[in-house]
Formats: sequence, structure tokens, C-alpha cells
Amino acid sequence: MTSVPNDHVGGEHSSPPAVELIDITKRFGQIVACDRVSLTLHRGRIHGILGENGAGKSTLMKVLIGLVLPDAGQIRLHGRQVQIVDPIDAGAHGIAMVHQHFSLVEALTVWENVALGDVGRLDPRHVRQRVGEISEQYGLDIDPDDRIAHLPAGMRQRVEIIKCLRRDPEVLVFDEPTSVLSPSESEFLFDALRRVVHHEGKAVALVSHKLPEILSVTDEVTIMRDGRVVKAGPTAGADASTLARAMVGRDVVLRREHAAFGVVDTLIEMPVDATDTTADTSAGDSPAASVETSEVVAPTETPAAAPVLRLVGITATGRDGRVLLDGLTLEVHPGEIVGVAGVEDNGQRTLGDVLSSLHDVDAGRVEVNGVQVATGTAGAMARAGVAVIPEDRHDSGCVLDFTVAENLFLVDPNRVSRRGLISMSAMRSRAAELIDRFSINCTGPDAPMWSLSGGNQQRVVLARELSHDPQVLVAAQPTHGLDVGAIEYMSTQLRDAAKSGVGVLLISTELEEILDLSDRIVVIFNGRIVGQMAKGDVDVERLGMLMGGADLSTAGAQS
Amino acid sequence: MGNFISALGDIFSNESAYRNAVIAAVVLLFAASGELVAEKAGTINISIEAMMLAGAYGAAVGQDQGGVWLGLLMAAAAGLVVSAVQANMSHRLSADQFVVGLVLNVLVLGIVGFLVGSNEPDSHIVQRFEVPGLSKIPLLGPALFDQPWVLYLVYPVIPAVWFVLYRTRWGLEVRAVGEDPNASDVSGLRVNKLRRQTIYLTGIMSGIGGGYFLFARSGRFEDSLIGGRGYIAIAAVIFGGWTLKGSVAGCLAFGLVGSFVLTIPSLGYQSIDPAFLAMAPNMVTIVAMTVFARRVRQPAALARPFVRGLK
Amino acid sequence: MTDVGHLEPVASDAMNPTPNEPPVSERSRLTSASEVIVLYASCLFVALALAALLVELASDKGSWSSVYTVILDGAVRSPGRWGLTLGVSAPILLVALGTTVSGRAGLVNIGQEGQLVVGAGFTAYVGVRIGGPGPLALLISLACGVVGGAVWAGIAGVLRFWRNVPEVLTTLLMGVVAANLVGWGLRNQYLLLAPPEGRANRNQVSEPFALSRRIPRITLFGNEFPISVFAALAFAIIVWLVLGRTVVGFRLRMLGRNARTAQRAGVSEKRYGVGAMLVSGGFAGLAGGVMLTGGDFGNYQLVANFGAGIGFAGLLAALVARQRALVLIVVAFLFGGLRTGSGFLRSTGVSARIADVVQGMLVLAMLLPPAILYLRARRRALAATSART
Repeated sequence: MTSVPNDHVGGEHSSPPAVELIDITKRFGQIVACDRVSLTLHRGRIHGILGENGAGKSTLMKVLIGLVLPDAGQIRLHGRQVQIVDPIDAGAHGIAMVHQHFSLVEALTVWENVALGDVGRLDPRHVRQRVGEISEQYGLDIDPDDRIAHLPAGMRQRVEIIKCLRRDPEVLVFDEPTSVLSPSESEFLFDALRRVVHHEGKAVALVSHKLPEILSVTDEVTIMRDGRVVKAGPTAGADASTLARAMVGRDVVLRREHAAFGVVDTLIEMPVDATDTTADTSAGDSPAASVETSEVVAPTETPAAAPVLRLVGITATGRDGRVLLDGLTLEVHPGEIVGVAGVEDNGQRTLGDVLSSLHDVDAGRVEVNGVQVATGTAGAMARAGVAVIPEDRHDSGCVLDFTVAENLFLVDPNRVSRRGLISMSAMRSRAAELIDRFSINCTGPDAPMWSLSGGNQQRVVLARELSHDPQVLVAAQPTHGLDVGAIEYMSTQLRDAAKSGVGVLLISTELEEILDLSDRIVVIFNGRIVGQMAKGDVDVERLGMLMGGADLSTAGAQS
Repeated sequence: MGNFISALGDIFSNESAYRNAVIAAVVLLFAASGELVAEKAGTINISIEAMMLAGAYGAAVGQDQGGVWLGLLMAAAAGLVVSAVQANMSHRLSADQFVVGLVLNVLVLGIVGFLVGSNEPDSHIVQRFEVPGLSKIPLLGPALFDQPWVLYLVYPVIPAVWFVLYRTRWGLEVRAVGEDPNASDVSGLRVNKLRRQTIYLTGIMSGIGGGYFLFARSGRFEDSLIGGRGYIAIAAVIFGGWTLKGSVAGCLAFGLVGSFVLTIPSLGYQSIDPAFLAMAPNMVTIVAMTVFARRVRQPAALARPFVRGLK
Repeated sequence: MTDVGHLEPVASDAMNPTPNEPPVSERSRLTSASEVIVLYASCLFVALALAALLVELASDKGSWSSVYTVILDGAVRSPGRWGLTLGVSAPILLVALGTTVSGRAGLVNIGQEGQLVVGAGFTAYVGVRIGGPGPLALLISLACGVVGGAVWAGIAGVLRFWRNVPEVLTTLLMGVVAANLVGWGLRNQYLLLAPPEGRANRNQVSEPFALSRRIPRITLFGNEFPISVFAALAFAIIVWLVLGRTVVGFRLRMLGRNARTAQRAGVSEKRYGVGAMLVSGGFAGLAGGVMLTGGDFGNYQLVANFGAGIGFAGLLAALVARQRALVLIVVAFLFGGLRTGSGFLRSTGVSARIADVVQGMLVLAMLLPPAILYLRARRRALAATSART
């Protein structure tokens, strides 16, 4: 069933491969996350591991670095069978991972973070010196005494890489490394990666759900789906459509799926007409194809109606005095999806917080339907009709210790109460309706929220926010961490909301998601909007430069 | 008011007032130096009060059985036992740390009270030891260097805590888990184990602190001996903005205030009601925290339990 | 929706590998119920056994069995004792109800002892000064007690939300201040001290409440207790209803569980947080007033150390009941019983402090099972949901 990647012709193959994972199986309860998965990494090669969210690739990597213990299977390093029980153990075996979510402690300095997780006596001078060396060697430009809190996302990832390289590992694992980077930062990362691999003969595993990345960077690729390896082999001979098909297990037809898989390049080359997409990326003979493509909405004309949401000159600072939003101005019209594109940490979080009444502003105003709304006042935004799907639902979207029913009426319990008394029966029956309507998979209205999977928790949030007849829907990273089906569902809901006249503000660091859903795109950089373009004249290159902070005031004039 | 000012003048020139003030400050220093480490790792140990009380009782029993050194040893052991309950309940079973701490305070007070009621240990004050030369410094000399010798144990403790926190790998890891347990976990640190270790350290330090206080202050064990000094030590750490320097300053300030006001009546100022003297340290502590608490950044994960995969 | 329709089989397969909670069979539910009971029972047993061991080791006079028998006699079995236990339980219950309210809002108020004493002080001050018919004067003075306790806790609340000072510490520190302030009041006739003719030759006592201004006492089956017991029970039901069934209670609980979600949903942390502290302190203050005017605690007059640990007992009761108002009724009675029961211990020669130990041990033991169960449930949920990420 599973296929082991073919060995290539090459000098290093006289010695055994750096890593062999053989028939790894891992179950979580009744779910089989990895089902007899095998993977071979060679020195001097970059091996791409491609799959949807939830395909089992992260679990496989966690097995390799000792965060997860496999139920069955073998791990061999240089031909010798080993057991890896925890990350320290993995480090001792020469395996290091650059994490998707940073493993850096913000309050500590670069060198302190680099030293974290080592064993033995702490030698600050030696660590500092080593950081400097590696930084120089790969042109990373990092000062060992900087505090992480003061570094932007791109620099933090370089620190992560240094943290990895400092132990001089033989095997490097990168888990979705570009999700927090601007296009130019991604370029930089891959350049550095190639240097590491080719000069030092390290084995690299690159986990990603972005096809173009895998195609352009890797030497070999393994595709996973539903916990199994479905395809493995050299990258050179493969083409995008075959890989995409292998990844989803069916023909790739929908534009929104491009978004999910990150086929930006293909998308960009496409004319706005969607039918061509089918021809390019799939065999196109599926009967579904024609049905699907007709669904794609034609480019929207700019709505003439007055804006339903208007932010004027919003300036906000953090508790440490850092300027988070710097005179941000933005409009959303009814029935429109406005995408806020940008690299992580450029004010998106604060923008979401301001619209959730979680962050007060120093200057500027927020208007809903032309009426100014108090900022920073508990519940004011929600009362004005601003629905929010927050970036981190556990932070401000739900109460994990409450039941599903309670979570569905968090914002407006008065809907199921009379004279301040909550009617439990009304709450349960209304909740049951919503559970049904939004296909929330749970044992019932009384199920505790924490017992739901991430995707279903997200649906509860969505159901609550949409059922309160919003004027505006703010969706911050709405598909982050969801699998492809859930992404599809979320996208449909956002489109439907817009169709029904709600103004949708989509804040996302996934450019593909923005490109796929938005009628109009604005770019946020350093807390201000630095450019915008309508869906019709999207210029991805220009978008990328804006996101990276390039000054395009001249270029902006022409569009 | 005039009375009060002349009282202040008298206190500040009174040698024994300084001596008592230092004794009162040092018990806070012992406790706070442990508590600082625990808070850096993310725990507020309300049960520090119980650890100190248990330490004092252990010291009394130890001295009864075999002298001061055995007393100190048993003080540390008693503090450690209390801290083991706190550590394992709050950072193995993730029960609420305040709840556990509070219950321990009540429970240890009950146990110690019961034990003393059944069988009172025979303990006594430790003799002063004059450090040659240093004790001759006017005013401060006797206060710092002509004291029961157990007090001198605190002098190496302060730099040692600094060294451990900022120059050792363990200290680095402690600071990391208090700031970001998730990142620390991913980096391969055992978050809850490290936190438990800091609580053990607090137990030992505050146990010794309690024992020291018995030997230096009264010599006779009473269950009111500690009387809320553990809470003041916690307040000193908060007041000090989670820095060693600040915590030491907080301990000295709170200790001095608490002790100075107690010497007021003995200087002939009887008109001030003792109630105000007794509450003065607490009032000063509250006011100090009110003024300073907002300005400083606490360890980001302070008082948040860590369970892998949960935020 | 239509376009998604035919994709559903594939998509749902990929997206929801399993339902979130595997169906629980009747049998496994039974096992888990018995597991829970065994867990609680064994924790209780260990706690009592440890306390018994302490008696055996430390005291040459009593044995553990005599200690437990005597406590039981003193609490309920001897004639008239359960009435006394009820009277003692009422203020414990009141304090615990307040603690439940602040606890549900996510606040750690541990200064009930001080709030109670301030409440008693306010009640005493007003109760002997105002005129008017007895019952009205009683109600007014009790209301003043509520205000006193509320103010005392409110200070901590205000400091918490405006100056970011942890309420854990301020409530505690304010407790010591309260005790001293009331002590000072008891040394000054213009405050609380009774006039010389009223206190015989005792110092530091307040003027006793007139007969008409005391809480009426009734006798049932030879047991006498103040009617404040019924009031406390009524308050328990009210707190239960408000927390569980009203919008205000819902929002308060939301604040306690997730302050940021609550802020977004319209729950102002300052308003609800300080409100919860006021209620919490108010209940403690009321408990102080009830102790003063209801009998069972001295001679209807304020004395030094009047709180007598009732504030702490109430706090511990709230912790054991895990902030469920109706469970509190039972726990409060249990703790009241421990207290009245320990009064009989003198006959055995064992220090009455053993009751404190038993109480502490019980609380500690009761903390364990929920922590264990919670952790296990969360780990299971985590294992199920984090799969394949």
C-alpha cells in the first residue's frame, strides 16, 4: 500500500540514508493519524512532504522529533534503528525542527533562546559567538543580544533557524515555514535553505501545503492523504496538477481549492474567467467540473451604497507603547468582501481587536452604517452589528468550559431570556436548530465546548455570529488550522454572508485566501493601509512588494 | 503630628530599632528569594506562609532534639514537605494554585497548632555573634553584623539567587517557562517539572527563613510567629517588579516599616494605638503595590497552569 | 450550498475523521460513575486516616476513634446540638455564597475573615445607636453590615481593576487591617466600646444588642436556632438561581471563564468584577452581622477576634463545593458540625485544633478528584482533537 521513495542515482547512496521512517503508525483514540507511513531522507537533499491540513504530515514529523511516540514502526538513522523519546533525544541524534508556531520566548534575548533546550553548563559567551558565526555564515544578519519581542516575524524565523543549526544537526525539519513570511522573506529563506543543504550535506524535510513551494525547492516529494502516503518520488518529473490530484484524491477543480493548496502561480496566470482553471490544473473530464466552475462569482462591480463599516485614522498603541495601528483608514460596503492582506504582525491582530471592543484606540473613529461606535467599550462593537470570527477563537471567540448552547448565545443571551431570566428550554431548542443548520458535529447543545474539534468550534463561532443578523462580519484568519473541507465550508459561508448584504472584512496572512475570496484587496503594513486594488486588476507581484513594505507610491498611482 | 515626627527622629537614631528592623527584613528576604524564583517560573505561592510556619516549627523541634544546625535542617525539610504538596497538586494535577496554597495555610496552621498544643518543643534564641570590625560601623554595623549568627546565612543567598537565575541553564529555563510555557515545551523543557522544582526551592528557602526567625526573634514557637509575613514577602516580589534588586528593596522597606513602628511605644509614644502600628506594614504594602504594580511587566504566564496543548 | 453537496462524502471524510466524542456506551458511563465515587471515597478515607494518624502519634491522651465519636456527638447526636450546628453553619454558608459569586467571576477573594469583622463592626456601631422599632433597627444594622463588608472587599476590587494589584494579596492584607481597625474601635467609646456600666469590668467589648434587636430564635424538636438559618438557605437558592438561570449570572460566569470573550460580548470587567467583589464582601459582612445578632457566637456583642475563623471556614466550604450554591448547604453544615463537634473534644484531652486539621485535610482531599478528572477529560479531548494536525 505504501510506497517507499525510489532511490536516486547518486554518490551518497553508498552510505545508508540519513533517516528512514518505516511503517510508522500512530493512532489518537479512534483516529489513525499515520497509517504505515514510510519516508526516507537523504543527505544533501530537500524532501518535500505535501498534504492537506490533517493529512498526517505534522504527526509524522512530530514522531521524527520525539514529540509524539509512534504506536508501531521503526526509525533508522544511518541504517541503525533508534528510539526517539523526546525533542532533547532527537537533538542528540542530530535531528532539529524549525517550528510552524515559533518556539521562541519573547521576553528572552536571541542567544538565550538559542541556548534553550540544550543541556550542560550555560556558557553565554560561547552561545553568543556561535550565533554570530552562523548568522554570518548564512547571511542572516542577527544580533545575539536583541530581544525577540523587538524582532519582526521574518527575523524571528531566522532565529529559529539559528537555534536549529547551532547544534549542527544532520537532519532539519521545516514545518510550514513560509506561513508567516512575505514573499521576499520566503525567497530569502529558501536561498539559505539551499545553501545549508548543498554546502553542508544536510538532509532537509520541508512540510508544506503549498504546491509551488514544493515544486520549486524540493528534490524529492512525498504526498500524504488521510494518514497514508499516496505518492512519492523525485520532484523533477512531477507536474502541479498530478501532485494536486494526489493530494486531494480527486480532480482539482475549484478556484477556492487553489486557495487551499496555494496554487498561486497557476491562479495568477489565469484570466479572471474561471473555466480555464479547470483545463490547466486537472484532467478536466470530471462531470463535476462544469458544475463547480459556474459557481465562481464574476468580478464584482464596486458597490455604490454607503459604506457599512468605516475606520478613519485609527491609531492604537500596545501596553509597551509600541504603535500597532498608525492612522489606518478603511471602508467596507454592504455585500462586499474586502481582503486585508499582509505579513503577520503588521497590525492585523490589533485591527481585529479594535473591532471586537478588545483594544481602545488613541485616535480615529469607527463607524457602522454612518454611526460612530465607541471603541474599547465592552460589547459596543457587537451591539452595533459587528460580528467577528476571531483569529484565536480560544482567546476571544468562545468559552471552552461552557456548553455549545451557552456559546451560541454568549453575545446576546437576551434572545433566549425574558426579563433577565434565561429559558433553558428556549436556549436548548434554538441551539439545536443552529447546530443543525451549521452542521456542527457534537453530542448536543449540552456538550462542553472543549469536547469539540477545532473545525466544529469554529462553526459554533460562525453560527453565533451569523445568527445575530450582523451588519459587518470580520473574519480574522478564518481558515487557519482547518482542513480542506472546513476551509471550503468557511469560504462558502463568507460568500453567502456577503451575498446577503453583509459587509465582510477578511483579515488573512494567506495571500491565496485573500485572492480567492476578496472583491477588493487592501494591504496592511506597519499598522497602516499601504495600497489597495480591485479584484479585476490584481497584480500579485505588486501585492507582494506592498506586503513586504516596498514604497510603491509611484507605482500605486497607475492603478 | 509633631509627636510623630519627633518619634521618627528617635527611631532613626535608635540602634536597637535598626537591629530589630534587620531581623524582620531578613525573614522576608529568605522567603522572597525563593518566591521570586517560583514566580519567575509562573507560580504565586500563597502557601509560602505555611512553608515558613512549618519551617519555624521544624526548627523548634530540631533545636530541641539536637541543636541549631539540626533545627535549620528540619526547618528546610518541613518547608520542603509543604512545598511538595503545593507543587504536586498545582503542577502535576493542575489544581488551582491559590486554592491549594490557601488550604495549606489553614491546614498547616491547624497541624502545627495541634502539635504544639500536644507537645511543646523546647527551643530558645540563638546568641549574637559579633563580626569583628564590620560590627563597629556606626548605626548600621551592629544591625547588620552583630546579630544571631543564623542571620548571616542570608548574605550569600541573595547573590546565589541572582547567579542561579541569570547565569545558569536552570535559571534560564525557569525564566522561559514563566514567560512562555508553550514555546518552552516545544524547545524540550519540562515545564511543570521545572515549576515544581522552583516550588521545592521556595519551600526550602522559606522553611529556613521560618527557622531563622524563630532563632533570631523569639526563641519560643507560637503559631502566630509568622503572622502573615509570607504574604508580605509575596507583595515584596510584586512590588519589586519581579527583579531581584526590587524584591530585596521591597523586603528591606516592608521589614523596616514593620519593625520601626513596633518600636514607637517603647520610645515613650504611648498615644498611638497599637492597632495602627500592627496594620502599618500591611497598609504600606498595599499602597506600595498600588503605586508600583501597574508599571511593571509580570512574567507572562504567572499563575497560569500549563497543560500541554491547552492555552 | 448546492455545489458543496456532492463533494460532501469526500470532504466530510477528510474533515471530520471521527465524531468529536466517541459514543459513550451505557456500560462505560457506569464504570466512569463508579470510578468517580471510588476516587472521592478513597480521597476522603485517606484524609481522615491521616488526621487519625496524627492524633495517634502526637497525643497520648485520646485515640482517633474517640475523637471522631466525640466530634459526632458534639455536632449532632447530643441533645440540642444540631440546632447549635445550624446556627453556626448559617454564617459559614453566607460567607461561602459570597465567595461563590466572586469565584465564578474569576476573582480570588480570600479576605472574608476581615470583611466579616468589618461587617460585624458596622452592624454593632449602627445597631446600638439608631432608634426605631426593634425589627427595623435590626434590618438596618444588618444592611449596614452588608455595606461594611462590601466596601472592604470593594477596595480590593477597585485596586485590582484600576491598578492591576492582585486581589489575592490585597484581600488578605486588608483582612489584617480590618481586625486591627475593629480592635481599635473596641478601645474607644466613641466607636464601638461599650460604656463603662455596660461592660462590667471587661475591656474591648461592644454594647450588647437589646433583646428586641436580636434575630428571633425558634425551637424545633428541642433544638434552638436563629431564623437567619432560613434566610441563609433562601440566599443559597437565590444565588443558585441567579448564577445559573439569569443573564447577569451567565455574564458573570463568562467573565470568570474567559475575560476577553466576555469583553467582546459586552461584559465589562470593571463593572462585573467590582460588582462581584461587592457582593462577595456583602455576604461576608452579612455573616458578621448575623453572628452578632443571632446568638451562638458570644453574648450579642462584639469582642476582639470576633471572626473566630468563620470567614476562613466559609471560604474553604466554597472551595470544597466547587462554587455550586446548593452543594454548599451540605458542606456548610458539615463544617459547622466540625466546629461545634470540636467543642466537645476537651473531655478527651485532645486539642480542639484537630478539628481544623480534619477540616483542612477534607478540603485538600476534595480538591484532588475534580482536578484528576478534569485533567483526564481534557487529555482525552486533546488526544481526540489534535489528531492529524
